[in-house]
Amino acid sequence: MTGDGAFAISQSDKRPMYLQIMEHMKQRVAVGDWAEGQAIPSIRQMAVDLQVSVITVKRAYLELEREGVIVTQQGKGSRVASTPGLGGRLREQELEQHLEQATRIAAMLGMRPKELEHRLREAGDRIAGEPVAEEGTI
Amino acid sequence: MRGSVVGALILKDLRMWREAIVLSILGGVIALAVVQLANEVSVVVGSVCFFIALILVGTMIPLAGIVNERKNKNLAFVMSLPVSSIQYTTSKLLSSTGIYLIPWMALVAAGLLIIQVRGFPHGLIPLALILELLPFIGFAIITAAALMGESEGWGILANVVVQCSYGLTWFFISRVPEVMKYNNSPVIVWSPTDLRILGTEVAIIPLLLVLTYFVLSRKRDFI
Amino acid sequence: MSELAIRMSEVSKKYPYFTLDNIHLDVPQGQIMGLIGPNGAGKSTTIRILMGLVHPDRGEVRVLGQRMPQNQVAAKWDIGFASEDMRLYDSMTVGWHMHFIQSIYSNWDAAYAGLLLKRFGLPAMQKVKGLSHGQRVKAALLLILARRPKLLVLDEPTTGLDPVARHEILRELTGVMADEGRTILFSSHHTQDVEQISDQITFIDRGRIIDSMDKEQYLDRWRRLRLEVPNGIELPSLPGVIEVKRSGRLAVAIANAFVADLPNAYETSGARVHAVESMTLEEIFVANVEHSREEVEA
Repeated sequence: MTGDGAFAISQSDKRPMYLQIMEHMKQRVAVGDWAEGQAIPSIRQMAVDLQVSVITVKRAYLELEREGVIVTQQGKGSRVASTPGLGGRLREQELEQHLEQATRIAAMLGMRPKELEHRLREAGDRIAGEPVAEEGTI
Repeated sequence: MRGSVVGALILKDLRMWREAIVLSILGGVIALAVVQLANEVSVVVGSVCFFIALILVGTMIPLAGIVNERKNKNLAFVMSLPVSSIQYTTSKLLSSTGIYLIPWMALVAAGLLIIQVRGFPHGLIPLALILELLPFIGFAIITAAALMGESEGWGILANVVVQCSYGLTWFFISRVPEVMKYNNSPVIVWSPTDLRILGTEVAIIPLLLVLTYFVLSRKRDFI
Repeated sequence: MSELAIRMSEVSKKYPYFTLDNIHLDVPQGQIMGLIGPNGAGKSTTIRILMGLVHPDRGEVRVLGQRMPQNQVAAKWDIGFASEDMRLYDSMTVGWHMHFIQSIYSNWDAAYAGLLLKRFGLPAMQKVKGLSHGQRVKAALLLILARRPKLLVLDEPTTGLDPVARHEILRELTGVMADEGRTILFSSHHTQDVEQISDQITFIDRGRIIDSMDKEQYLDRWRRLRLEVPNGIELPSLPGVIEVKRSGRLAVAIANAFVADLPNAYETSGARVHAVESMTLEEIFVANVEHSREEVEA
């Protein structure tokens, strides 16, 4: 298999499949597997590799293009956008998303920003004490 | 590539029936070997076994080859191939008849050979042919019922009726004086009655098969 | 890619206890169409009609440009069809079947057949009688795949299989799609398989097609909204919402025509939207069947 063995659609993941695929592809860029400007598999090839329908992969590609992560040229296939520092930016984006999420939940709990900051520092101390993070996205 | 698949289906059936053909011929030949011992018991026992071989293979071909093929859902597999339902019917009529003809002809020939070699009266030959054609008619009836009836029930019903009729038919034939009169004659005598019966028998077989073809060619739903 | 591999229009078929009613089904070339519906919904009848095995009372069926059932022989050269109620010959080996199919189709790819035999772990010399259900399904699929038909029609290909066998089959099916000229129609009540590999979805229930469209669009239209409804507030009935269940102050609304404004509409009515969740095909399946039955009965 030429396939993308490292990736499997998760059935316990509640997000739609196209979001999971987007996330996976962004991670490949973030960790440096896919360099800026590098050609990536065609939609059809990716669908075969991931064993997911073409239409779902196509949607992921379209959304990634809209976000500026990849560029698709008619007849030439797709490549990672040639934006300098794209990998780092994607990692930051992910951090931002988590922070926003945390802030939203904090707001629901009626927490003030100061309190959230404190909690964040506490979390940092906890992680520093642990040998390895048990579960995480990156 | 786009030739007719009928030929491939017939070949397939022939390959599937290879062993049964050989076995039925073997069984018939063993029965004839008993007949040629030429004592009173061996002739009766051997003849009965000889006819059982002819009847058995003539029953198995339509029941296993057509009824069971449908019952075991192999028919759906065959129909997934590039064949129409009437092509399937054609292939079954041809392959079944062909498969039956092989042992039937072999055993009829072997029977004639025994009469010749062992010096049985040649006057027996017309009677032998009349009786040997009966299992062929039985085969044609069960085949027609199996194909037209499209269910196990019709095949089995036809089988039961056919099996029960053998005794009756034999009884009636043995009561026809013109048929029995020349049994001990050293030369063949074809009485008009012999010829009429043989002619009817020979006509019934293709008639049944053609009727089956005709009826099924007008059917719409297949499975 | 606008060419249609399958086109059924206004197809009806009446049986004593079941009627297939006015079926329209278009499957574009190069796509995987998943046909889902409860048992007895009419999936198999639909498939039999499109294979030319059953004549519809009314309507037109074209498969790969051929009129069915009249031109079924021409069409079936390019169709690979396997169904749950189809069986290979028990007394013959897998190898015998391969030889038989090869004798018919000149485009049989012996190398690919050998590869599939290995991948599926099938014993070529074993009689079909001795194979497990999963092995039989895989053997039937091998016979189809190795001649690379333009259209695969598979009635319940993954029913009754263990997860490993199911996975193997799904992998081969998605592998087929590497060639964009090939089309697959398969039926299943395993919604997870349909969700994973199909481009198009057709819902069928009680002999009628409830929905038929692009899978992504389809999934996108459905949402589950978790709401908190303060006492004294009545939830408005909003367009596109097919079901609201309320217990105490919490409510769950299911929308089959979700628009971005929908949560706002609930907020305006005084409810709080806690979450807007996408739904799995399985959840949609159940909600959809229940909803359409209510509609029919109403």
